[in-house]
Amino acid sequence: MATLTTITGSTSQCISLSLNAPIWQDVLAQAITGEFLAAMNYNSLSEICTDPEEVADALEHAAIERGHAARFAAEGRKIGVDASNNVEAKHWKRLREAFLRCIAERDFIGCLIVQEIMLESFAVASYARVGKVAPGSLGQTFAAIAAEEEEHVDHAMSILRAERALDAHRFDDKVYRLHLDVMTTLAKMLAKECKDGHCEVCHESCVKPALFDVSLSAAELRGASLQHYLRTLDLLGIPGEITLAWVAQLPV
Amino acid sequence: MRIDFALIGHQESWRAAADVLAVLRGPEHTPLPDEEIKDILPWIPPRAVCHVEVGSTVHAKAHGLYIDSFIPPDHLEAIYVHDNLARVRAAAACAINAGAKIVSLGGFSSILIEGNFDQLPARRDTAFTTGNTLTVAFIVRGIKKMCAREGRDLRASTLMIVGATGDVGSGCARCLAPLVKRVLLNARKLEPLRRLAAELQNDGVQVEIATGQQEFSAEADLVICAASLASPSLLLGRLAPGAIICDAGYPKNLAPNAQMPGAKIFFGGLGQLTGGMKFTPDFHGILNRHPFPDVVHGCLLEGMALALERRFEPFSQGRGNITPQRVEEIESIAARHGIRLAPLYNFDGPLETGFDEETELEFGRTELSPHSDLQQHGVLHRRHVGPGQASDFVLQSVL
Repeated sequence: MATLTTITGSTSQCISLSLNAPIWQDVLAQAITGEFLAAMNYNSLSEICTDPEEVADALEHAAIERGHAARFAAEGRKIGVDASNNVEAKHWKRLREAFLRCIAERDFIGCLIVQEIMLESFAVASYARVGKVAPGSLGQTFAAIAAEEEEHVDHAMSILRAERALDAHRFDDKVYRLHLDVMTTLAKMLAKECKDGHCEVCHESCVKPALFDVSLSAAELRGASLQHYLRTLDLLGIPGEITLAWVAQLPV
Repeated sequence: MRIDFALIGHQESWRAAADVLAVLRGPEHTPLPDEEIKDILPWIPPRAVCHVEVGSTVHAKAHGLYIDSFIPPDHLEAIYVHDNLARVRAAAACAINAGAKIVSLGGFSSILIEGNFDQLPARRDTAFTTGNTLTVAFIVRGIKKMCAREGRDLRASTLMIVGATGDVGSGCARCLAPLVKRVLLNARKLEPLRRLAAELQNDGVQVEIATGQQEFSAEADLVICAASLASPSLLLGRLAPGAIICDAGYPKNLAPNAQMPGAKIFFGGLGQLTGGMKFTPDFHGILNRHPFPDVVHGCLLEGMALALERRFEPFSQGRGNITPQRVEEIESIAARHGIRLAPLYNFDGPLETGFDEETELEFGRTELSPHSDLQQHGVLHRRHVGPGQASDFVLQSVL
């Protein structure tokens, strides 16, 4: 009986995957783009680090993110789709530019805030949601990468908490400035509808309306991402009433 | 910053939730569409929304936080109990982390905890109170006031309490049963009803119990609605013509369009701070959506009163143990700091002006200190208002 259940389950997964392959293709394309962007960010970060240990850490993180991108691409191949990336797509490009401004100012803390607090919140929360509904190895890969991303945030959190302890007011101001820049772009990406036209990552039309077919929704991915972001800011010690207003003011 | 008290609450309607988010977004951002609010709010983790500063008529001041559990207004049914309990626990953790010395559990928060404070996160220097004793005090006082206004003789009245075995309902029963002719106790479970009836009968009170109101042998001319309902859905039976009805629910027990011709309905359990209250950011009229200034639910006011009195103790523990003596005690503490019964109102608006000589006399003069910081900063809202003016206040506040 166990074998029969396994076979039946596996067959229905195959049917589901092939039917919904175009949806997963776009979901994977967004994830791969995000991972490549993260790899580029960590490479850039390594260039402003002075401590050799920090340089090595940044390069290691870049390699890990490239590894994630490769694992997502492999999942695409398994279901017969080419999940390509586009780090030049308008929203992703803006996120990269925000990070590069921190690099230009040799602002190590700013870089950590953008990458580890903002972009990773988005990645961890949305991958975890996809991991819950995507069938088979596709779901397992998303869930595993979500867990790995969450793990490496811990190191950055301890650095950022120490920085905030030195001057909370200045630190919170910096987070807010970066929030306006980065989270406004992320909020547009996470909006239920892409109001600024095609995102330049989805292969054809916007994937968001089709997410319901795979038990996901743009609203859920946005909610989970912003919730994760708020909780991460809580862990940094920024007062909840302040961060609530920040998030409430984001575009929808 | 020193945090004396924290108030844990949630919004009772999507309109109220929308108004809270509109304040947070600020005037420079367009308000969120309703469907976006319904998508976003359930994802907001419990957290502080604003700071609250309250003044006392004896020059005491207390500083606190309003913490919203962000329980979605349509998620109060039993099927959401685990999620909601997790939200209340997380809100309690916010209060503890902020260093609050006393925390009031408003609305459904205390119902979810069910008197079991062990369900709350570990704490060393934070006391929790359901705030229900002061709620009972204001319900009782409201009933007495309404009877006086309508020329009713309390001693000749038949009082029905819906939700009689709950913390608030049983407290009201203990306070009012000795003062009326007969008490009709209504609740969903028979055994707790029997226990409460036995307790009251020992004191010589004439008591009937029923799980269905139609089973009562007499009609009620006084009613307290204190049922824990997820939405205003209570249908009352066995009402005498012109019955006085106190709706003490949060959310309200009765729908605005409930068909009860001739009934005199008022919202109970509400108090008013005469020493001033300031929200930062300014949530006046948003978090306290009443047609009179500085009106707050008794359960939340209890935490403020205890903070002003510097009595950081779990005054109300939500186990159905509210006694007339404890009600008198918390009422005295509240009165000492200028916290009194709020002017009466209902769905249709105020039933009286905002200044009540009778109440003033009962509580003693509550003149504001000319040196009060709150007064100097122009945040005191006490004023004499008539029914029309009070309605204007609501419009000004909400819009």
